[in-house]
This record gives sequence, C-alpha cells and structure tokens, in this order.
Amino acid sequence: MAMPRNNINSPVEPVISTKRRLNILKFLVFAALAIITLRLLFIQIIEHDFWIARADKEHTILETITARRGEIYMMDHNEPVAAVLNQTTYQIVIDPTVTKKEDIQHILETYAKDYTVTNLDEVYSTEGLRYSIVAKNVPRTIIEEIAKENPSAIWFKKTNQRVYPEGDLGSAMLGFINTDGVGQYGIESSLNDILSGKDGLLKTTADVNSVALSIGNDNVKIPAEDGKDLVLSIDRGLERGTEEIAAKHIEKTPATNAAALIMNPNTGEVLTMASVPNYDPNHYSEVKDASVFINQVTEVPYEPASVCKSFAFSAAINEGVMTADTTYFNQGYEIVDGWEIKNAEQRASLYGTIDMRTALYWSLNTGSIYALKLLGGNPAAINQTGREKLYDYYYNKFRLGQATEIELNEAEGFIPDPNEGWGRDSAYANITFGQNLGITMIQTATAYSAVINGGTYHSPTIIKGELVNDEIVPLENITKKVNEKILSDETSATMRDMFVNNRSYKKQGKIDRDGYQIGGKSGTAQVIKNGAYDDTMSETVGTYIGFVGAEGELPKYVIMVKMWGEGQYVDGQIASYLFDDLSNYLIDYLKIKPKV
Amino acid sequence: MKNRKHKSDLVILFATLGLMALGLIVIYAIGPMRANVLNNTYGADYDSNYFFFGQLRAVALSLLAFFAAFKWIPYKYVKKYAKFLLILSLFLCGLLWVLSMLNSSLAKCELGECRWFQFGPISFQPAEFLKLAMVIYLADFLTRKREEGSIGKLREFWLPLSIVCGLSLFLVVIAEGDLGTGVALISIIFGMLLIAGVPARQYLILLALILVVAVGAVATSSHRMERVNAWLDTISGSESSDSTYHIENAILAIGTGGFFGVGIGNSVQATGYLPESINDSIFAILGETFGFIGLFLVIIVFAVILLRMLKVASSTPAFDEHLFIVGVFAWVFAQVVVNIMAMTGLVPVTGITLPLLSYGGTSMVFLAYALGLVLQLSCYTSREVITNEDISSGGRLGRTYHSSRRRSS
Repeated sequence: MAMPRNNINSPVEPVISTKRRLNILKFLVFAALAIITLRLLFIQIIEHDFWIARADKEHTILETITARRGEIYMMDHNEPVAAVLNQTTYQIVIDPTVTKKEDIQHILETYAKDYTVTNLDEVYSTEGLRYSIVAKNVPRTIIEEIAKENPSAIWFKKTNQRVYPEGDLGSAMLGFINTDGVGQYGIESSLNDILSGKDGLLKTTADVNSVALSIGNDNVKIPAEDGKDLVLSIDRGLERGTEEIAAKHIEKTPATNAAALIMNPNTGEVLTMASVPNYDPNHYSEVKDASVFINQVTEVPYEPASVCKSFAFSAAINEGVMTADTTYFNQGYEIVDGWEIKNAEQRASLYGTIDMRTALYWSLNTGSIYALKLLGGNPAAINQTGREKLYDYYYNKFRLGQATEIELNEAEGFIPDPNEGWGRDSAYANITFGQNLGITMIQTATAYSAVINGGTYHSPTIIKGELVNDEIVPLENITKKVNEKILSDETSATMRDMFVNNRSYKKQGKIDRDGYQIGGKSGTAQVIKNGAYDDTMSETVGTYIGFVGAEGELPKYVIMVKMWGEGQYVDGQIASYLFDDLSNYLIDYLKIKPKV
Repeated sequence: MKNRKHKSDLVILFATLGLMALGLIVIYAIGPMRANVLNNTYGADYDSNYFFFGQLRAVALSLLAFFAAFKWIPYKYVKKYAKFLLILSLFLCGLLWVLSMLNSSLAKCELGECRWFQFGPISFQPAEFLKLAMVIYLADFLTRKREEGSIGKLREFWLPLSIVCGLSLFLVVIAEGDLGTGVALISIIFGMLLIAGVPARQYLILLALILVVAVGAVATSSHRMERVNAWLDTISGSESSDSTYHIENAILAIGTGGFFGVGIGNSVQATGYLPESINDSIFAILGETFGFIGLFLVIIVFAVILLRMLKVASSTPAFDEHLFIVGVFAWVFAQVVVNIMAMTGLVPVTGITLPLLSYGGTSMVFLAYALGLVLQLSCYTSREVITNEDISSGGRLGRTYHSSRRRSS
C-alpha cells in the first residue's frame, strides 16, 4: 500500500503527492474561465448589435400621446352649451396574485358598487389569472376617493368616452365616434381632423412596468395638439322643438320621414338641421336601419319640384324679361319635344290669359316654362339662349348642383347640361319646376335665401366658431365661403311679394299671424320608378320652403321642410302644415316681435 | 511541521476587499430600481436605499468575520470544533425543514422554498453555514483517515463519508430545494476528495455515480426539468417563454453591455426586466454596466483569488490546512463558475449567488470567514516545501514516476 508508506517516509510527502491533483484544479480554473471569456466575447462583441436591437424592442415604449378630441357645442340663444362631451372614466384593474382579496372587496363595496363588473370569488378562483378588470366606467371623483385610501396593488386605467348628453338630438347632423375613435357621419366625420387634433408621440426607454425612465439618449416627446372645441350655429332649443314637431307630423301624416332646416338667409347660418327619425349616438351600435345615420339635409340630392319655380321666376325677373304682372296664355299643358307637360292644377278658371303671380300661386308648370321661354327671348318656344341663361342662374348664381361648402358631408347633385344630349328643351322645361335635376335641401334653401334676402348668396355655415376660454372665436378657412350679390333688390322684393301672396290663404285662415311677413312655396315631386316618372303619383315627396320675419323688415329666417315615405303620397300641402307649425313655433321660441 | 509566521497573501486580501467594494457600488446603483420594481409589482414598500443599506450591513458583518478569522481565531482552534460545527449546521438545516413543514413564522420562504430563519429583521440561511462546516469537517475527517490509511476503504471511509454527505445533500437539495448550494457542496466534496488522495478509479466511479444521480434527480423533478428545457430552448434559439425569460434577459443584459458597458446607473435590465437582478443575476448587470472589459476584470480577479488559493494550498505543509484551503477553493470555484455559466447560458440556471458580489448577508459572511481563515493560513506557508517539492519532483519525468507509482497502489 502506497499510502501508509508515504506517511512513514516523509511528512512533506502528502504535498508532493497531491501536486498533480492540484494541477487538475488549476487546469479546471483556466478551462472554465477561458470558456466563459470566449462566451462573453461572443455575446458582448460579436452579438452585441443583435442584443442592442433586441433590447431596443423590449425596453422602448412607443406611446401615442392621445390628443384630446374637441367637444361640440350648440347655442342656447346666445350661450354655447355642450352637445358632445368627452368623459374620462376609469377601470379598476387588479392582479389576483398580488392584490389582496379583502382590500379590493372593501374598495368595491365602499366606493364602486355600481360599477363592479365581475364576481371576485370567480376572479380569485381562476388559476393563473394575473389581470382582471373588476370595475368599469368609474368616474374620476370616485377614483380620487379610492386613491385617498392608498390601496396597494390596485390599478386605475383611464378610458375616454364620447358622450352625447342630449341623446338623439341632431343625431344625423352630429354623427358619432366609432370604436377606433374616428368620427362617423355628421360633424364628427366631416370635421374629424379639426376635432381629433394631432396625436403626439412618446418614445422612451421604460422599466418593466412601462414607466418611462430617464435612461437613454434617443427619447422623443412630441406633444399632442388637442382638437378644437367647436361651437355650432345650431340652437339647441330650436333644434329640439323642430325635431319634436317634425316627429309629430310624421305620426299624423302618411310620411315616415321628415327633414327640416332653419337658416338665417342674411348670413347663411344654419339654426336647425333635423333628420327624423333620430337615433342615439351614445348607442349607435344598436341602430338597425343605417339610413338614420344619413343627414337628409346635406347628403341626399332630390327633386324639390315646384319649389324651383322660385329660381326660374327669379331668373326671368332679374333678367328684366318678366314681372309678376307679365301674362301668358295658360292652356293647362305644354308640348315640348313631343312630350306633354301638364299642370297639376287643372281648374277651369285658370284657362286663358293669367299673370305670373297667379301662375306661381297655383304652381302652374306652364308658367315656369313660359319664364324659360322669356329668358330665351322667344315667348313662343324654348331655345338655347333660354337654356343657357337658366343654367347660368341655376348652376353659377344659385350654385345648385354643386357643394355649398357647408362644414358637413354633402352631395353635389346635378343640373343637366343646357346643350348636350337629346331632348334638352323638355329637360329644361322640367328643371323650371324642379324635376329632372338633383339638388340637396341645403343647396335649395341657400339659393332660396338669396332670392328673398335682397339677392345675395351667402354660403351656408353650421359653425359659429371655436370655443376658447368660454369665448367664441371665429374659425377661418374651414371651407371656402362666398358672399355674392346675384339678384337685384327689386327682383328679391318682387319674389317676396309673390311668396307672401302664395300664403294669402294661410293668412286668411289665421294660420299666419298678423304683424308677420311669411311667404313660401310648396313642391310635390314625382318619384322615378323603373327609370321613368311615375305619373300615377303613387309615391311623391312633399317639400315646402318659406321665410318668416316681422312685417316690413327683411325676413330673418328661412324654413325648409321635406317629407316622404316609401310608397306614400306626400305632397307639398302636407309639407306646408309642418312649415306652418314650425314658423309659428319659431316666432314663439325666438320671440320675434310683430309689427304693431 | 510548523513554519514561522510571515506576511499574509496580500493578493487574496485585496481581491476580496475589492470585490466587496464593487458589489456595494453596484447594489448602490441598482438597489433603488429593485425597490421600485418590488413596490410597483408586488405592492411592497421598500425604501429606495433599502438594498444598499442591507448590503452595507452584510459587508460590515463580513469584514468582521473576515478579520476575526484572519487575525483572531487560529485555525487550530477552529478545527477542534469541526464535528460540533457540522452537527450544529445539520441540526439547523433540519430544524428549518421541520419549521417550514409546520408553517412556522420563523421559517422564511420565497417562491415556495424555505431557506431562511427569520428572527425579526434578521434572516439567516443555515445552508451557508453548512458549507463552511462541511469544509472544516472534511479537512479534519480526510486528514484523520489519511493518517489512519483507511482512505478508499468501504467501512472506515466511504460509509461515514456517505452518511455525512448524503444527509447534507438531502437537507439542502431535497428538503430546502436549494440546488445551488447542493452544487457547491458537491464541488467542495469532490475537490477535497481529489486532493485527499482517493484512488483514481474509485474517484471516477463516484463521479460517474453522482452524475447519474444528478441526471435522475433532474429528470424526475418537473421543476428542474423545466429549467433544463428552458436552457436548451435558449441556446437553441427557440421561442421565448416564461421559463426562458430569466436566461434570455441575463444574456440580453450582458449583450447590451458591449465592450465598455452602458455605465453605472444606466442599467435598464435592472429596472425589472431581469429577475434577481441584485442577487443571482448581478453578473449580468455587471456585464450591462461595465461591458466586456468590466466582466473580464472581474473574472481575472476571481481567477487570481482561486489560483492564489491553490498556490497557498500547495505550500501549506499541514495536510488538514492544505485540504481546508482546497475546500474553500472548490466552494468559490463552484459558485463563480456555475453562476457565471448560468448567466451566459452555458449551463441551466440553478439559483446560486456570485461570491462577494451578490446581495445577501449569510452567504457573504460565511464565505468571508472562510477566506479569512485561508488568509490566516497563508501566513504560515513554507518556502522550503516548495523548494523541496521542486527538487524532489525533479521534472516532468519525476512527477510521472510518483504518479504512476501512486496509481499502482
């Protein structure tokens, strides 16, 4: 045995005998540390860029600083009132593995009972659950109360909600916000850019809980530009009243839909814009029939029918080729391009020579066709000059068939070209009484405003300005506005007289009160069925447009209504009843003083 | 044989103090981040300097233990209590196990493993004490067996050794679930057995046996298997998962450091991405902060400590003292290598601290005490031994001769 002998031979022997084995340990040190060093060289030098990129991905949070969306105000007489608001609410979030059950239970029961959305027993019995929203839509005030308790391991998550405090008021005009925060329909859509502002960006190195750190050199912060708070020219009370009255008229007439517009003819400011039935933008997802989203006043071109005689007559009078007293021979119909165009009113007393005032009162198509003939300088027939002049008035002066530049989504519509295509004369005969063209209510009402306001076209607007520190500051350049004199004062005065004359029977019937100047014009449009006008008149669209003001003054308000229903006969007469109620309501609501 | 006292090994002294200082600086920089993470994620309420002061206290206690061992308590005196110390440490480990099963508040558990006694603000990890006691005991035991000539014999040697080592490993690995300390213990045992002169064949058989047991222990434990799988996933670049998270983030920290590091106070991984950033993962944070240069220096310092210990050992004539130093060497070696290899993805994560740098009181105090003893012994090295050895071994041929003779025994 070697071992005992070693001991006996020499006391230093063990050291010598272990020398080689110590070398093994020395070797192990060198080997292990060499391997580690090589590994470090690999990770830190060769793979360095890879890990830097990876760290960038893991550590950098790219956060959008959400711009606050602008709120929308309406007017209440002269004060702005909120119609669309942002509400910040909170969610209460817990991590069941660290949040103490009795803590959260206490907090929910004491403060947020009404907002609790989960069963805590269930949450705490779910294996591996690390994130649970236990309460939703909790108002800030309650969160502040809870925060005073200094709860640990309970988190509050901010959420933004668009709130429409007036419910369905002006819904088609306001629109709503989809789940991505983008405006849909109405002002929310058309002025989405102005309302949404510009989101900012935060790029920063963050800790594991996504809390930004001051470490790192390429941190970026671009602040958000908040959206503008917009003030509409819409009067909240007037809008509410208009919608309620329109809804009542739907109930008692064959019409299923109504649209109404009240505007100031002297400025183009829109005071009410109603599309009934409404919907509640707070719950837009519950809407079954998406057509309620559409703003009937600006987005739907249609044929306002005899209302357009206002424009044909104005054109002829303004050109000096016609007056209210001009006469023509009415035989109840007219043949143009081989088509027979009949008057709707065929009473015997109207046969023979009548003046234009009478033709407008009875809404005779032969009358407006005569105006077109006069525009062409030939009382016997429609000609190119007449067509071109009418087109010039309709399209260039009254701006029918083109966008009005109101701050809403709108349709352009169309006016047929005076010289192209077949049957131009009959087409133009038709557009004198508002058929064979497509124009929107806002186009019609704006043009009509020019007819009665002394002859100036004012682009319509629905925006009063931006609300800055409770002050309304005008907003420039949202859209291009036009203020253009297109008719003479005399033409306008003549037209007003004729419109007032149109309503003489309403005045006699005490529907229009004394001391006020109220004029108007009705229209009943045939609907195109299977590519042609339906002469059976089984479905028609009723329109009425008119103005209201104190007697002896320029009218301050233009009211236009449109009523219709699928498969229903709704004529201008039915629409006129709605106008009657609205005009009287308007006088009461705005307390317009009569001339004593 | 007794040598005259001379100056201690200054290299070990300053390397030890240097590492302690470095650990303190790093904890000072990242401690607040750690506190912040714990406060935010677990609703704790740590002061931002909590960990720094904790480490400062640990360093102070460690210095006390270090100099006590170095200057005041002679090794001769310590070794008289070898058996007592081992029994005491085993008793404490066993007591902890029992307390933890009784759900006593004295047993402090983290992540399901109960490794600490908790007396008010003071916590104590008996496994760290066991490592020291094991080194002291084995140095004494193996020397006695060597003198008796019974090394390698079944009844006199292997049986008592197996009981002591088996019980220790059971209490540490099975009862406390502390695989890291288990690895250190195995390293200590094998390092000391190697030097004690266990016949090569027996040694290799035992090595093979322990490997089989280790593989078996891993394969039968889902928790350990997960770690191994996580490691394999990481090195094979598979999809990230919860279990690969620790290694990935350790390598990410090291990789981000590059050559020069991001500089002190600029560690991002310490802000909560890297688990155990102040204890087991501190090497990765060092890598991020000081880069390759810094890590290379740290490795050099550890290499110097380890090699100096071997040098001191080789010139320490008393065999029990010689063995003691090798035990401490094996202890430090295991912790350094296993910790760093885990952080660099070379071996699976076992949960082992980096000596003198990691946050933690008990481990540093006991290791400091052990190093203090080594330093004390370095005052009694014998120049003659080295000279004699050099002469007697002659050269490569002579050494081969001795070895082959020993192997034939």
